[in-house]
Amino acid sequence: MSTVDVEPLWIAVAGKGGAGKSTVSGTLARALGRLGHDVVAMDSDTMPGMCRSLGIAEPEVTRLMEAVERVEERKWRLKPGYGPVRAVQRCSIPAPDGVRLLQLGKADAAENLKPVIGAVGAFHKIAGRLGDSRTARRWTIVGDLPAGPRHLSAGFASYTRGALVVVEPTSQSVLAARRCARFTREHLGRPAWYVANKLRDEEARRRLARMLGEEPVAWIPYDLEVAAAERAGLAPIDAAAGSAAVGVIESLAAELSERRLDGL
Amino acid sequence: MKIIVAGKGGAGKTTVSGTLARVLSRAGEEVIAVDADVNPMLGISLGVGMDETERLAGIRESLQQGHIEHAHDVEALVATFGTTAPDGVQLVVGSRMDGPDSGCACCGVNPDQLLNELDGEGRVVIGDLEAGIGIVTRMDTGNIDLVLVVTNATSKSIEVARRAADSAAGRGAEVLVIANRIGTDDDLEEIRAALGEHEIIVVPEDDAIRRADEEGLAPLDGPRDGPGMVALLGLGERLALRAAA
Repeated sequence: MSTVDVEPLWIAVAGKGGAGKSTVSGTLARALGRLGHDVVAMDSDTMPGMCRSLGIAEPEVTRLMEAVERVEERKWRLKPGYGPVRAVQRCSIPAPDGVRLLQLGKADAAENLKPVIGAVGAFHKIAGRLGDSRTARRWTIVGDLPAGPRHLSAGFASYTRGALVVVEPTSQSVLAARRCARFTREHLGRPAWYVANKLRDEEARRRLARMLGEEPVAWIPYDLEVAAAERAGLAPIDAAAGSAAVGVIESLAAELSERRLDGL
Repeated sequence: MKIIVAGKGGAGKTTVSGTLARVLSRAGEEVIAVDADVNPMLGISLGVGMDETERLAGIRESLQQGHIEHAHDVEALVATFGTTAPDGVQLVVGSRMDGPDSGCACCGVNPDQLLNELDGEGRVVIGDLEAGIGIVTRMDTGNIDLVLVVTNATSKSIEVARRAADSAAGRGAEVLVIANRIGTDDDLEEIRAALGEHEIIVVPEDDAIRRADEEGLAPLDGPRDGPGMVALLGLGERLALRAAA
């Protein structure tokens, strides 16, 4: 799919709920696609999110269920022949800019994760085996993690070579971000970079830098156009194209692509 | 009385839980506030500060590493890990942050169990849940007096709230929707359109609450005449009357 020669990136996007993980990961995936990366978006959040930020409709069924079979009452396995490559080829959803989205499966009001529990296991295995495949190693992975630090230590993000931790200038968001960064560094042994989001003024910027104790690699302003896109469930890169916030994420995509961040 | 507070991350679960816990305690109730979030933050909105909130989360991590043990039941867990927050609220961090399972490493008690088994008789147990709908769908609703579902006016927040409210109400729980940080009539209309079959409490956008959250302070310790705080205080009074009855 990629026509330009780019070095693949394997990035997870983490942070507190509401900080803007889907907005950043969805926009980043699309922007990297435009830079010539063959992007696989990995959405391991069981709440709605990355679909809308990528600009596609939430599917009715979890396609990853096609890749699994039940062996016992509560035990599922990947069907024979299904590795990461086939799962992505057959079970991902096409999004604009050549991005393919692999979803863990969405929770259901009546039964929570029960209907998609097979897909959860499949997702976990696929995430862990991505590095084994020569084809998969040519993809750029952008992962949207669920809220909080836990998935960084639970195998859903084992593909991570570096984590972007989205943080807004509130105390709760900062605590969550510091935990995410610590887990990325201590449990995965990978670099973590803060991405500051929803900054309203210079004072918020100073406060955030002070509470984090280190400088974010990107500063995304609070942006009414992105907020309106989010409210409407539209992709910021389409509905808020040219906005200041989307511009910062596009610059971050370029920096990542050119491997200008510490530790990449 | 047992109350659980659910909703999407960032909707305001912790702000609502912490503020209501203290209002109920001021009204004379014995209050146990259970932080069942895998990313525990309730200490901040109760007013114990960022550092103490981080220390409490750290206790759970050292427990997993085998440094501390405690008796194998929920009351013992509360006694071992409870901290007294302002206004006498007992704060317990019920969830671990690392590892695929949120249960306690030494006794296996997880946040679900803690909330299910803590006795709500003669006191108030208020549980601040993890983001999303997981615990809501697993809770024994016969054991819960009230499910507060917190939502903002964004499409994702409303979607999560709708799932949480439908799940809880579908299994017979009493649900109150808290429309939080409401700025305009349009905001409220979006929430009413999706969650109109439930009673909706409107908590307007409130600069003082936002500033408290930015600084890591309890909203209740700041100015209390803003529209959001007035709405929360009103809800707290209503719940206090009910708890006393």
